[in-house]
Amino acid sequence: MMRDVTLGQYFPAKSVLHSMDPRAKILSLIAYIVLIFCTFNYFALLLTALSVICIVLLSAVPFRMYLKSLKVIIIVIVITSLLNLFYGSGEPIVQFWIFKITWQGINNAVFVCVRIISLIMVSSVLTFTTSPTDLTDALERLLKPLTVFHIKVHEIAMMMTIALRFVPTLLEETDKIMSAQKARGADMESGSLSKRVKALIPVLVPLFVSAFRRAYDLAVAMECRCYQGGNGRTRMKQLHIQKSDIFCMSFVLLIIIGVVLCNVFLPTVPR
Amino acid sequence: MDFITAQNLSFRYDTEYSQLKNDGQRMVLDDVSLNIKKGEFVAIVGHNGSGKSTLAKQFNAMLIPTSGKLFVDGIDTSDESRCYDIRRKVGLVLQNPDNQLVASIVEEDVAFGPENLGIEPSLIRERVDEALKAVDMYDFRTFAPHKLSGGQKQRVAIAGVIAMQPDCIVLDEPTAMLDPSGRNEVIKTIKRLNKESGITVVLITHFMEEAVNADKVFVMDGGKILCSGTPYEVFSQVELLKKRRLDVPVATQLCYKLRACGVDIKSLPLTNEECIALLSEVLK
Repeated sequence: MMRDVTLGQYFPAKSVLHSMDPRAKILSLIAYIVLIFCTFNYFALLLTALSVICIVLLSAVPFRMYLKSLKVIIIVIVITSLLNLFYGSGEPIVQFWIFKITWQGINNAVFVCVRIISLIMVSSVLTFTTSPTDLTDALERLLKPLTVFHIKVHEIAMMMTIALRFVPTLLEETDKIMSAQKARGADMESGSLSKRVKALIPVLVPLFVSAFRRAYDLAVAMECRCYQGGNGRTRMKQLHIQKSDIFCMSFVLLIIIGVVLCNVFLPTVPR
Repeated sequence: MDFITAQNLSFRYDTEYSQLKNDGQRMVLDDVSLNIKKGEFVAIVGHNGSGKSTLAKQFNAMLIPTSGKLFVDGIDTSDESRCYDIRRKVGLVLQNPDNQLVASIVEEDVAFGPENLGIEPSLIRERVDEALKAVDMYDFRTFAPHKLSGGQKQRVAIAGVIAMQPDCIVLDEPTAMLDPSGRNEVIKTIKRLNKESGITVVLITHFMEEAVNADKVFVMDGGKILCSGTPYEVFSQVELLKKRRLDVPVATQLCYKLRACGVDIKSLPLTNEECIALLSEVLK
């Protein structure tokens, strides 16, 4: 059962966004995150929200997948919206006990709510349409300039790659160890929470030992294949900027211009 | 010309590691001398702890002799500056196929070696495709390793090594963790690589049936080479091998016992087919 665990949230499909260069996607995401928090009136907010919906539709990922990722954070959205609603400054419209609702409060609540939802949606688009391997690969290439500051970008990316590679292997192993311990009479499903946590120790210890053994083996295998760190290494897969990337980047640029224009020429919402 | 030459090679793990392995100060390899020619298929057999895996790691300079010399294609393995040259020439495939795959996509794993060598991207692509075809795994190139069977994973590991275009591959018990069908796949692949591409193969195994395919067999026991020669020469010394509690192929053993019972058998067979031919002649 544990073997079917999908890595990350990648949802394979055929869409413009799936075929995009992962670097372009990461950069666009960063631009969007900044953009979402730089909306100062309702027009700008509406424009970003609409464009997020556009992107979501473009991704060819079923909408229930997005709802699933929103479900996790729904409590946070509700609580922050309510707090913002009741603790706004300015002239109260309605007031009871310690709560007062003001126009500023309403504005705050709407902004926070729409911003968080857009944020989740737009970052989900990245994780749904990009495989974890492509993501690490793109990160390595994007962060390459940081090597100037002696940050070991290649090593970090390699660690991520190996971690991703061994997640299913270790899950399988956990399954095996759990079965083995159950066969020896270990009880993992009943008792209080602390009891169940304690029952996990006989699973974790062998898992760690085997993980270290695997790491040693892997290190030997990597050395055998002439691994010497990132220096002088080439990559088989080359990333190329294609038409779809230029199309999407210009879309993002257009939205940015739109939002900036809204912010400049329309009055800022009092908050 | 000899591709690998060992001259009185001895090896002992340094103290820290020997404590880990519980070996004390025992010589793991003791005065080993051997020659392996280019294009040869050599099998090294022996018990667990006989030093055969340690010997395998000597061949690609993962370990360096404590005393004695080991030359690979004329390069002394104790010359640290050339250790990557040696690893380029001699690829090592390990026992556990799960622990030697680096990337989460088959073709990217095969590309790992050539990428380390700094080869041009388009050339890597060519080599990866070639290597995957050579081990008959081309159709699985976009699969994740954990979706493959043990035999398939091991073949990917072999592809990862041959994509570096080595002159020689050393396989350290590549079939020990596989089921019979996986074992067959791997042995067939190794044999084909040896015959068709002329790659020198050093197969380390404890399955005597696998050693039968080799041109030359070395039997290791307690860090020493007990005997060597063609499979016929080695496995006909049944008494010697039995005394060291080593097996001989089933066919050989059967005919040996029949001969002891007085059946007229001149030469001992190695494979089942030979055994059948021999027995049917005797029974006529």
